[in-house]
Amino acid sequence: MIVLGIDSSTSGCSAALWAGGRVLARRLELMARGQAEALMPMIAAVMDEAKLSYRELALIAVTVGPGTFTGIRIGLAAARGIGLAARLPVAGVVTTEALAHAVPAAERTGRTVLAAVDAKRAELFAQIFGPSLEALGPPAARLPETIAAAVPQALTIVGDGGARLAPLLPGAVLSSAPPVPDAAVVAALAAARWRDGTALPPAPLYLRAPDVTLPATGAPA
Amino acid sequence: MIVLGIETSCDETAAAVVDDGRHVLADVVLSQLDEHRPYGGIVPEIAARSHLEHLDQVIAEAMRRARVDFPDLAAVAATGGPGLIGGVMVGVTTAKAIAAVHGKPFVAVNHLEGHALTARLTDGLDFPYLLLLVSGGHCQLLVVEGVGRYRRLGTTIDDAAGEAFDKVAKMLDLDYPGGPAVQRAAEAGNAARFALPRPMKGRRDCDFSFSGLKTAVRMAIEGLGRAPTTEEVADLAASFQEAVADAVADRCARALDTFRAEFPHGAALVVAGGVAANRRLRERLTALAASQGVRLVAPPLALCTDNGAMIAWAGLERFRLGHSDPLDFAPRPRWPLDPAARKARGAGVKA
Repeated sequence: MIVLGIDSSTSGCSAALWAGGRVLARRLELMARGQAEALMPMIAAVMDEAKLSYRELALIAVTVGPGTFTGIRIGLAAARGIGLAARLPVAGVVTTEALAHAVPAAERTGRTVLAAVDAKRAELFAQIFGPSLEALGPPAARLPETIAAAVPQALTIVGDGGARLAPLLPGAVLSSAPPVPDAAVVAALAAARWRDGTALPPAPLYLRAPDVTLPATGAPA
Repeated sequence: MIVLGIETSCDETAAAVVDDGRHVLADVVLSQLDEHRPYGGIVPEIAARSHLEHLDQVIAEAMRRARVDFPDLAAVAATGGPGLIGGVMVGVTTAKAIAAVHGKPFVAVNHLEGHALTARLTDGLDFPYLLLLVSGGHCQLLVVEGVGRYRRLGTTIDDAAGEAFDKVAKMLDLDYPGGPAVQRAAEAGNAARFALPRPMKGRRDCDFSFSGLKTAVRMAIEGLGRAPTTEEVADLAASFQEAVADAVADRCARALDTFRAEFPHGAALVVAGGVAANRRLRERLTALAASQGVRLVAPPLALCTDNGAMIAWAGLERFRLGHSDPLDFAPRPRWPLDPAARKARGAGVKA
């Protein structure tokens, strides 16, 4: 089963081809913006490198958030567009899970893993996992201070939200994993869940309503 | 030659398939109006979310109705700007993905060029012609000399015409969007009841302004000293609509003089954009065209408001002249049709 993995949901951009535990091609770049320009050429580049055509793929895997709203949409639009055009299924992967699953086992032993995404707002998007990567709660939007007050001492942090958390958590370790999701990990996670029948649909996980308030009745514009 | 066109720059999620025989094989438009109405205007984040939620199914439906498959396409076109960037990114990325999978060229289309070339799809019009583009986001007069060749004669220096309709509708406690609501209210109204200004009328340039007119309506309402009665709402709506039609017709007459001085054989005035649906404006422009000996071309309403067919057609026109865009094309929130046009306060924000 060859899977194309895609991520642009945080401050990076990544595309990878994965098959049966092997990474056939992978790109990963840190970028705060510009994914709308970078993502499709990156996908085309991994397809070229692996000398594959889209009809040889079995599944498209994409991160659905939480992350930047624009980044989530670029990844999902690419994945759903490819799915439509190549008649392939598309599976969603939660961004914080993709981050946590890139943390090497040695950095997790006896520790809690905190995956945190900085979407350039007061709150970070965060989720915590046990040493075997079992989720200890759902992803949520929380202020850094609130997160810091609720996590144990033995902690490994991953994700681009780590920079804002580290000063509040002097006992924590920053993972050696990339601070943005690795599309090869996204592909591997989606493949496993696709086989189990537990894959998520390719729908965004924004965790925040749009910033807009209803006008008060009768008030002038 | 068959082209798929995708439009996601404002509050319509649209996809269409056209061919080079000027046939619209499918034209699917999903309006987000109900999602934005409670806010009295378009909320960009709501629009972007809705485009992502629906676009792939809208494209699938257009392909089904057209009875074509992706390998049959010559190119995939999408609005690349100007417009609300969140939605444009969804449409552009989806179009790039379809193009990449099938090894087809991707064409980024200027949304305004879509409106500008629609008359060639519907009426097979030859260049050059004069275009009045009046919508919620734009109010411009352009000489259309060829594909990619536009000269702006005038633009609004403050609000777009459609914005003025929306704001006046709000003042009169009418529905959103304001265009149809004001027109409905005006049907029973006396257009001569309130003396409203005709902004810019008689000026030598071809620019528009609607801000002062809007203020005059507000002052007329305040002058009543109480909430207007149903009859007064009708009269205010009719007076406002007449002032807009009168001012726009005057600006068009000025632009026609300029246009025909340069192109004596230029024989058409084309009107496009959502405000082109206004009956009173159409009447005035029809009369103007007749008096000047030119033809008024007003595409059917569904092709005047935002749609995918105009994007597919503009993409087709560009592609058959050899234009296409790379997969790293960057969506353009601002993208003037005439980059050489002088800066104008209102136009700067819109295009």
